[in-house]
Amino acid sequence: MSSARADFVVDARGLEPPEPMVQTLEALGGLAVGQSLMVLLPREPYPLYRTLQINGFVWDTRFADDGTVEVLIKHSLD
Amino acid sequence: MQALLSFDQAPPLAAPLRFFISAPLFAMLAGVLILSFGPEIFLSRWTAPTLAVTHLLTLGFLAQVMIGAMLQILPVVAGANIAHPLTVARLVHLLLVVGTLALVAAFLSFNSWAFKTAGCLLAGAMATFFLAATQALFKVRSPNPTIVGLQLALLGLLGTVGLGLLLVFALGGSCSLPLLQLTALHFGWGVIGWGLLLLIAVALVVVPMFQLTPAYPKWLAQTFCPLALLVLTLQTLAELSGWAVLANGLASLLALGAAIFAVQTLRLQRRSTRARFDASQHFWRLAMSCVLAASTLWLGLLWLPSLFSEPVWALLCGVLIFVGGFMSVMIGMLYKIVPFLIWLHLQNRCPVGVMAPNMNKVIVSRQIYGQWRAHAAALLLLLVAVAWPAWLTYPAAVALLFANGWLLRNLLAALNFYRQHAARPAGSAEEAQTA
Repeated sequence: MSSARADFVVDARGLEPPEPMVQTLEALGGLAVGQSLMVLLPREPYPLYRTLQINGFVWDTRFADDGTVEVLIKHSLD
Repeated sequence: MQALLSFDQAPPLAAPLRFFISAPLFAMLAGVLILSFGPEIFLSRWTAPTLAVTHLLTLGFLAQVMIGAMLQILPVVAGANIAHPLTVARLVHLLLVVGTLALVAAFLSFNSWAFKTAGCLLAGAMATFFLAATQALFKVRSPNPTIVGLQLALLGLLGTVGLGLLLVFALGGSCSLPLLQLTALHFGWGVIGWGLLLLIAVALVVVPMFQLTPAYPKWLAQTFCPLALLVLTLQTLAELSGWAVLANGLASLLALGAAIFAVQTLRLQRRSTRARFDASQHFWRLAMSCVLAASTLWLGLLWLPSLFSEPVWALLCGVLIFVGGFMSVMIGMLYKIVPFLIWLHLQNRCPVGVMAPNMNKVIVSRQIYGQWRAHAAALLLLLVAVAWPAWLTYPAAVALLFANGWLLRNLLAALNFYRQHAARPAGSAEEAQTA
């Protein structure tokens, strides 16, 4: 499970929009430089990518065999 | 956290909303037309007023919602960005509105210039939308079943519009063509090639996302849209070649395919983790039930023509498909898409640490459920009016007017909610979130 790589995990599978976005934004608000956040989703979050880009984050997306999309997010300064 | 959306990526709210707010106005106009012509509307699907009402519903309501939703959905679910979204939206919307009204005027007057004018305007609207959507969709690097479905639906739209334009210019006296055969093909491409393919491509994402269900099975997600377009193309060729039995066989496959999609969606809905169905799920369940009924009736029309020779059956099939199936799904989706967009755009205006008001407050739940009942009543009355037009045409028309007036009211309430909260000073949004 790659979420073990992250300091915080938001499991947004099974949540109705906009809850995944709300929980991710709240978690990012408290993310310090050097820390990482893993977001687990049922599909690729295209609107989130642009938000991350604008707000100075970098991310790495992986696709698990069970269909889960794993987005590992860090500050771009890291 | 700020700037959820950048407007070079996602269209401004005005781009899709102009389509969504126009849609119920056209359905209301259809209600007015039914009131004006009375029971004559249900004599046959070939009368001029019936064709006018049909196109008010298909081009006026359904196409408006489909195009508006597609402009919005492409960046969100596919990462496909339309260039200059507001300019494209303004142009397509204007041409589509005026073109639809011109087509309705043409059906009612049978004036050849009205047909030609409508043809040019609608061709302009669809060509602009087609080019903008194609440019965005075909440059997506890693296509998934939704993106492939949307690409194929655009080809279906091309077929529908091409056949429609041939009909319009033939009716305008520019050329002589087999009108009945072309009309059947235009109907098939519109319902299956554009409508059903778009519906399935979008359902693959929005049903699990908003109804909290498992995903559609892989075999359906990956094979349905390509297979349906292939069968539709073969059916068209068989029809044009005069191979009636083969054409009927292929059309039956399409009807069965629609039924399989409806059954699969109903089965997924039963596995929703939501404790109680919300209004949007009721709209979807009604729509899928109507798709099942329409598919059965379509098979009857194809294989038992002597049993289903009365015009009433084809009309019934049309009401089930357009009002029961597509219109129900579109309204159900509007009640998810519009509040979500308004939340997203309000959130975009919030300063750091402030959350936008809860999405469920954008349109009051009581109003959505009320409109759902009004829509279901209008559908029921329309279905019964097809069988007993002398008695029920007028109540059905009033019900259609009322249900769409209520939909318009709910959409305007959502717009008003956005304007009120967008105008508030920063910080007050958080109060609304916790209220």
